[in-house]
Amino acid sequence: MSSLIPTTDRWLSEARLSGDGTLRTEEMVLNIGPQHPATHGVLRVVVTLDGEKIVEAKPVIGYMHRGHEKLFEQRDFRQITNLCSRMDWLSGINNEIPASLAVERLMEIEVPRRATFLRVIMAEINRILNHLMFTGSFGLELGATTPVMYAFRERELLQSAMEMATGGRLHFGFIRPGGLKEDVPRGFVDLALRGIRQLQRAIPDYEDLLIGNEIFKARTVGVGLLDPDLAVEYGVSGPILRASGVPYDVRKAEPYLNYNEFDFNIPVGLHGDSFDRYWVLIQEMKESAKIVEQALMGLPSGSHIGQVPKRLTVPKGAIWAKAENPLGELGYYIVSDGDSRPYRMKARTPSFSNISVVPHMLRGAYVPDMVAVLGSMFFVVGDIDR
Amino acid sequence: MSVAENRVDELVTREEIKTLSPGEAKRTTYGIGLIKGLGITLRHMLKPAITIQYPDVVDELPARSRGVIALKQENCTVCMLCARECPDWCIYIEGHKEARESVAGKRAKKFNVLDRFAIDYALCMYCGICVEVCPYDALFWGQEDNYSEHDVVGLTHEMDKLSQWMYNVPPPVELELGAMGPEVKPLPTAAPAKEGS
Repeated sequence: MSSLIPTTDRWLSEARLSGDGTLRTEEMVLNIGPQHPATHGVLRVVVTLDGEKIVEAKPVIGYMHRGHEKLFEQRDFRQITNLCSRMDWLSGINNEIPASLAVERLMEIEVPRRATFLRVIMAEINRILNHLMFTGSFGLELGATTPVMYAFRERELLQSAMEMATGGRLHFGFIRPGGLKEDVPRGFVDLALRGIRQLQRAIPDYEDLLIGNEIFKARTVGVGLLDPDLAVEYGVSGPILRASGVPYDVRKAEPYLNYNEFDFNIPVGLHGDSFDRYWVLIQEMKESAKIVEQALMGLPSGSHIGQVPKRLTVPKGAIWAKAENPLGELGYYIVSDGDSRPYRMKARTPSFSNISVVPHMLRGAYVPDMVAVLGSMFFVVGDIDR
Repeated sequence: MSVAENRVDELVTREEIKTLSPGEAKRTTYGIGLIKGLGITLRHMLKPAITIQYPDVVDELPARSRGVIALKQENCTVCMLCARECPDWCIYIEGHKEARESVAGKRAKKFNVLDRFAIDYALCMYCGICVEVCPYDALFWGQEDNYSEHDVVGLTHEMDKLSQWMYNVPPPVELELGAMGPEVKPLPTAAPAKEGS
């Protein structure tokens, strides 16, 4: 048929549609990943390029799927908190807390006040550790190698405080339904306080290094704009949502543990660009440091675990418990049929929702900006795929 | 903004960015921020190094660090609690029953004898639940952390190896001020709980 063979006229008219009309350009599909230095874990992004411009970007997920939700169904509730910390490996404690909160609420276990305080301390130290990692690596992805060195120096002291208490550096496995695994050792409060003080002294340095840096600004300001309404539609949460100007934080909106007793603020960005997301992370570290300080000062004496039966049989029912993970809102929906294992346990992880908005942000961006956008989306691939 | 703006009074909003639209940022004079950053680098360069030269200098591990699970063989009663509670099912225990004459004339008592106790460290996720649930203090956390193998099969360690690791088990640490043990659980018939021990 004649329509299959393009005539010169049709060829010319098609050519004019792409590019700026003077040059015949072709769209190219490029696979970025499954490994890429700008991602933490294994993510693949299929980008359709028109020259240097991204026409479409599609994150391909699932390379790190470990079947956590199915695993939960085979494990009892004490084992689950240990599995949870593997989902987002940068914030183990924060993953464990909502899981044990759900079990506690279903079983109506009263958690001692000291355990609640220690949970807050550890969750906030974990948040700082996570934020230090991302602020450091974001600079690294944009070519600034110094901030990550300083970030890891501050991480080390807080990390060793956590290691001293829990014995782990990444997977803490310290939260148990009803309280904590054990009480913290002598010297933990001093070490944690020292780490927080060192961090508070170091934060102005981070700010001067990158926030004031013209090259950093040129690469991040106005790049990867995220509209607040779009962010809410996609269920984006955490620092990314707050950078877009939506003041939503589970710690304030629906206080869990005893966050309502502490004095802290929620930093909010104005434009929702990569720069704002970085800025929000730095500010959140300051606020978390404030919380840890208050909690360490007011740490009451008492027991580290409530009255928990040896065998955890959760009564029939369903519950939704959520908490503010460093990357956003993390929630678990547990359906129990009265057994020691959940009938169904669904995890709503922040990174999954946060990454789903990426195609919108990358549309029309340039390839070099992709690193700035993906690096500032702060996701953990294990948290996406779980 | 269509999103509910609750608790706006508690929020910090950024001051310096308010006047800085994306276009304006490109026009800022280059140099001041860069020089500031270089000054910080210079200041840190003159400070002593904080790194530890690892293979030569080994940092001390905290007492609670989870290096390896060590087995005190004589304490094990083959109750299988650890194998059952393990989230990864990586503990393999085999045993048999043996009758031993205790006092002459009395019926022989039956004992469990441990034949095999192995942990597959390729599967183990170092959660420590087995150490926690062991009612007879047969499992401990050892400090040893240097036991890599060339083959994944070699990571299943049998009880002779697990017993050797007992050499490096630190004593339990002193707790932080104000710590108390778990409150005494009330008996079904007894009065309400007593305050901690």
